[in-house]
Amino acid sequence: MASLVPCPHCGQRPKEEFTVKGAALARPTADASPETWFDYVYLRDNPRGLYDEYWHHTSGCRRWLVVTRDTATHEIEGVRDASAKKEAAE
Amino acid sequence: MTSYRLTKGGLVDRSKPLSFTFDGKRFVGLEGDSLASALLANGQLLMGRSFKYHRPRGVLTAGAAEPNALMTIGEGGRTEPNTRATMQELYQGLVAQSQNRWPSLDHDIGALNSLLSPFLSAGFYYKTFMWPAAFWEKLYEPFIRKAAGLGKASYEADPDRYEKCWAHCDLLVIGSGATGLAAALTAGRAGARVILIDENATIGGGLLAETATIGGISAPDFVSRTLAELESLPNVQVLARTTGFGWYDGNVFGAVQRVQKHVRDPRPEVPVERLWRIAAKQAILATGAEERPLVFGGNDIPGVMMAGAMRTYLNRYGVAPGQKVAIFTTNDSGYALARDLEAAGVKLAAIIDSRVAGASNGVYSGPARIVRGGFVSDAEGGKALSSITVFKDGQTEKLAVDALAMSGGLSPVIHLACQRGGRPEWSDTHAAFIVAEDRKGLSLAGAAATVNGLSACLEAGVAKAIHLVGGLGFNAERTVFGAVEGDVIPAAAKPVWNIPGIKGKAFIDYQNDVHRKDIGLAVREGYGHVELAKRYTTNGMATDQGKLSNVNAIGLLAEARGISPADVGTTTFRPFYTPVSFGALAGTSHGKHFQPVRQSPLHNWAKKNGAQFVETGLWYRSSWFPRSGEKTWRESVDREAKTVRLNAGLCDVSMLGKIEITGKDAAEFLNRVYSNAFLKLPVGRARYGLMLREDGFIYDDGTTSRLEENRFFMTTTTAYAAGVMNHLEFCAQALWPDLDVRLASVTDQWAQMALAGPKSRAILQTIVDEDISNEAFPFLGAKEVSLFGGKLTGRLFRISFSGELAYELAVPAGYGESVADALMEIGKEHGICAYGVEALGVLRIEKGHVTHNEINGTVVPADLGFARMASATKADFIGKRMLEREGLNDPNRHQLVGVRPLDPATSFRSGSHILEKGAAATLENDQGHISSSCYSPHIGSTIGLALVKRGASRHGEEVLVWNGLRNEYTPARLCDPVFFDPANEKLKV
Amino acid sequence: MTDFIIEHRAALGEKKSSSFMGVKLEVLPEGHVLHALAGSADGDLSGAIRTALGLEALAVRFVTPGQWFIVGDNALSHAELTGLADRLKPMVDIVDQSHGRIRIGLSGEKATAVLAKGTAADLALAAFPVGHATMTLIGHIGAHITRTGENAFELMVLRGFAESLWDELADMCAEFR
Repeated sequence: MASLVPCPHCGQRPKEEFTVKGAALARPTADASPETWFDYVYLRDNPRGLYDEYWHHTSGCRRWLVVTRDTATHEIEGVRDASAKKEAAE
Repeated sequence: MTSYRLTKGGLVDRSKPLSFTFDGKRFVGLEGDSLASALLANGQLLMGRSFKYHRPRGVLTAGAAEPNALMTIGEGGRTEPNTRATMQELYQGLVAQSQNRWPSLDHDIGALNSLLSPFLSAGFYYKTFMWPAAFWEKLYEPFIRKAAGLGKASYEADPDRYEKCWAHCDLLVIGSGATGLAAALTAGRAGARVILIDENATIGGGLLAETATIGGISAPDFVSRTLAELESLPNVQVLARTTGFGWYDGNVFGAVQRVQKHVRDPRPEVPVERLWRIAAKQAILATGAEERPLVFGGNDIPGVMMAGAMRTYLNRYGVAPGQKVAIFTTNDSGYALARDLEAAGVKLAAIIDSRVAGASNGVYSGPARIVRGGFVSDAEGGKALSSITVFKDGQTEKLAVDALAMSGGLSPVIHLACQRGGRPEWSDTHAAFIVAEDRKGLSLAGAAATVNGLSACLEAGVAKAIHLVGGLGFNAERTVFGAVEGDVIPAAAKPVWNIPGIKGKAFIDYQNDVHRKDIGLAVREGYGHVELAKRYTTNGMATDQGKLSNVNAIGLLAEARGISPADVGTTTFRPFYTPVSFGALAGTSHGKHFQPVRQSPLHNWAKKNGAQFVETGLWYRSSWFPRSGEKTWRESVDREAKTVRLNAGLCDVSMLGKIEITGKDAAEFLNRVYSNAFLKLPVGRARYGLMLREDGFIYDDGTTSRLEENRFFMTTTTAYAAGVMNHLEFCAQALWPDLDVRLASVTDQWAQMALAGPKSRAILQTIVDEDISNEAFPFLGAKEVSLFGGKLTGRLFRISFSGELAYELAVPAGYGESVADALMEIGKEHGICAYGVEALGVLRIEKGHVTHNEINGTVVPADLGFARMASATKADFIGKRMLEREGLNDPNRHQLVGVRPLDPATSFRSGSHILEKGAAATLENDQGHISSSCYSPHIGSTIGLALVKRGASRHGEEVLVWNGLRNEYTPARLCDPVFFDPANEKLKV
Repeated sequence: MTDFIIEHRAALGEKKSSSFMGVKLEVLPEGHVLHALAGSADGDLSGAIRTALGLEALAVRFVTPGQWFIVGDNALSHAELTGLADRLKPMVDIVDQSHGRIRIGLSGEKATAVLAKGTAADLALAAFPVGHATMTLIGHIGAHITRTGENAFELMVLRGFAESLWDELADMCAEFR
């Protein structure tokens, strides 16, 4: 059944309209260390609690979003447009 | 002596008889009856046979929790097994069959199981059916298979229609008894968007069986008036016959509406069931409380039923349970039944009250004999109740009765509130598992929240509605109802789990035949934990999901283990509250509507040219174009491939992804998403590009052309079109939002056709207004072109997948067919043919061109001979850093290589593995696999592309191609993957 | 030179507009659909686009932040299209979608009920006023929905899915036959 995701552009929509990419991590700079790159590509935290993920509203506005969701309760604490994110990893 | 219809009373319409059949026998019921009430009215107590012991069973309840009276309704493709007779509305011509009996309900051979019952206790199948091992497949399994299940499903296609839909509201009210009606009315009058649902055919819940009055009018009349007002409000939607079955994330509720399950011949354009997803801002669970059975010997004999159900049959359906009735109760609610039975002229043999003090003051003042501090330890009878044994102070007394009502207390119906992770808590005060606090988005009110009594429930509904819609900005007024009179308030009483003096089987779970001793066995064998006891005994695991059995099992477990029910706890609650048909869940998504159909703008062109289509995802691609006389697909494909290389061919490539990219940073953007250089791609040029994943492996390939300084046209593969678009949007929005790059999917805007072969230029020049000679438009040219003397503007790309002189022409989709027709007409004299993806495949394999067969997620550019396409000078591109990893630069990696059989008369298949000559077929000896293969009419044999360890340096080596699935071995030789025209002479003509 | 008659084949050429009790399903003219793309996702350029081209409200429809569809019933020649695109530079880039997006009309008092069978978007007038536009799924097919009147909607779908969506919509209207 459908969880509802509050897209900041479209309002509440069911999860079927979205594609989930995974953890919303900042992409390292081109010259960051190999270890930093390994972690970015492969290493993930697995918290019981709030987790930031990239979600694409594929069948809606087609904007990439950062969804902060509680992995245990499924509550969505916040959703923002991904273009608002600016930091890069070292 | 048996149940019968009273001459008056009830909400049924005695002027509207309905005939139906049960096990082939014709009966008559009344409009307003359920199947169960109609059978009872006809004295048909026996309604089914239990699952394991095949014990005769009658109806136990009047509602959704019914475990016994499961029937198969309907015929042919409309056959529906395991339908609760209590929930089935009676209609003219209804056909019902009992289940799980042979040869008949009355005389069921399965009853012999009862004799075997010492061997059939809980978990018996963990200890049996093991020896001898050979017997499992031939004897035990078929036997178990036949014995399993209750009803039988039909193998005929379901002719009916199902549908799904969404709804939005401020307040969803689940349950339309006193509490629900009060809440819906209050919120509706305040202007909130309200949806009121009830699983029953008639709105009103418990009020339909109530004899109390509200403001001087009968409870059913109160319902009618309230319903009329609700239906007059445009902001209120009332859905009867609609079960709220689940509570989901986002405060979405699942409900199934039985739109036409109460008609014999449904209208075909209207669904029989509709699945609702209701997005509610707030919701109230006003689902009331479920009465608990008492666990005594023979508590499953037909004639024994719940006290509340007996009252419903009496007051709502005008059916008396028998002629000599007894009531066994632990609390006050049994007395409302006593009063109503006597008012209807039904003789009460006795009321057996487990409480020494008996009923509360003023609850009952009728003439029936009351046995205080007593228990019914056994009921006797076979297919119908004939007597009960009353146990008091160590003494027993037998009473002749033909109906027995039992009331073990009330359990609030809290299921939905526990489906998202919360569990109910045991309350000693209320002697029930309750949800003490409202959940976020879902509140409980009325009997579901342990509020008892009609007046209190009405007030509770009003108060909850005011509070909830108040939080949404609606100022609701406190609805005032008239005074309630004649109500018996069923206060909670100490529960009785273990009853003394029992001799016969005392059932806990009726549907799965779990009885008291099974719980004891579970505890002794170490499965005393509530979740283990459930699985070990199967208590609560039938289609009724333990609605009547879970709490009794917990109580008995608690006593067996010497702890409180609070410490035993409940098992996990999950949707669905009651079973939901697959039809409703699928909705319209079956048959023609199973999945969307995506058609190329050249679909009709392909069809009229005789194309055989193949499904590629949602697309229909033309696979080959058989001509008359061609008997096999190979003949057509060989011909098409030869014709392209000899003359020309036209192929529909519209389904490949097409993306338009504009903006002043478009070139920089492409430079970052492709591994090869794009920054300086000249205007008017196309370039093959490799797109990597961030882990360095190739994701997709395609051709991108620069049409203007800041306008690019990218193509992708068909399968990855959507994925690439998502990825580009991710890069543009999340990674580099500061770049001015704009993306638009134009796959559907353009009909794109490949025109390939030595005659392609001649054919094309006929329709293209500009000069497209080799000098004017060299290989990899890309530009907008004028067509048909300025009638049309298209785009022309000189790119080639076939290795021939070739072009791709894009025209606005609506003109595609017409242009393709024109090209075929013009090409006739040049010997053109239409070709499909099979021939396309032959041609590209002959040229060593890769597809996703090779780009399978495990290859990097160097593996395919594209090492130079991974730029060494670009500061950054997706995948650059991880591509540098040692393992991805290992010379022993699998590399693209060609494969040909030593004997051209032999062949091999894709997926086969490569072995060194003479090596055994083992995992250790595996050299790689064949990723693509075909018969090549130009080479005269099967050819293949393969990914082989160090393949690039092993050209000429003899190998063995091994197909383990078919145990085929083909001697072959590795070679250059470009089989045809390795110098690409034909391309640059 | 050639004397070929180049014909336009409408995506819904084999479908006929249908009326039911309370809902009407219409094949709309393919006309023009122009995708206007801004360089940034911030800001609403729809007003500026309307002014620049002298268009009424419903002719410029929101797609996603930074993107709008310019919609009309008349087909545009290549020259008209290029001229229009030039007039809108540098504010937005234009990508022609006149063949890529197919328009379907759905109107009547049952229109909302019909659409609710396919989409979870809240279509009540208060949540989705006249002129509001969004993209959503109708069943399994993505569609752009614009409310063009109190009981009227215009849907836009990828050409490849047009027949499939039409068949779905007709099925969703069936109970109102």
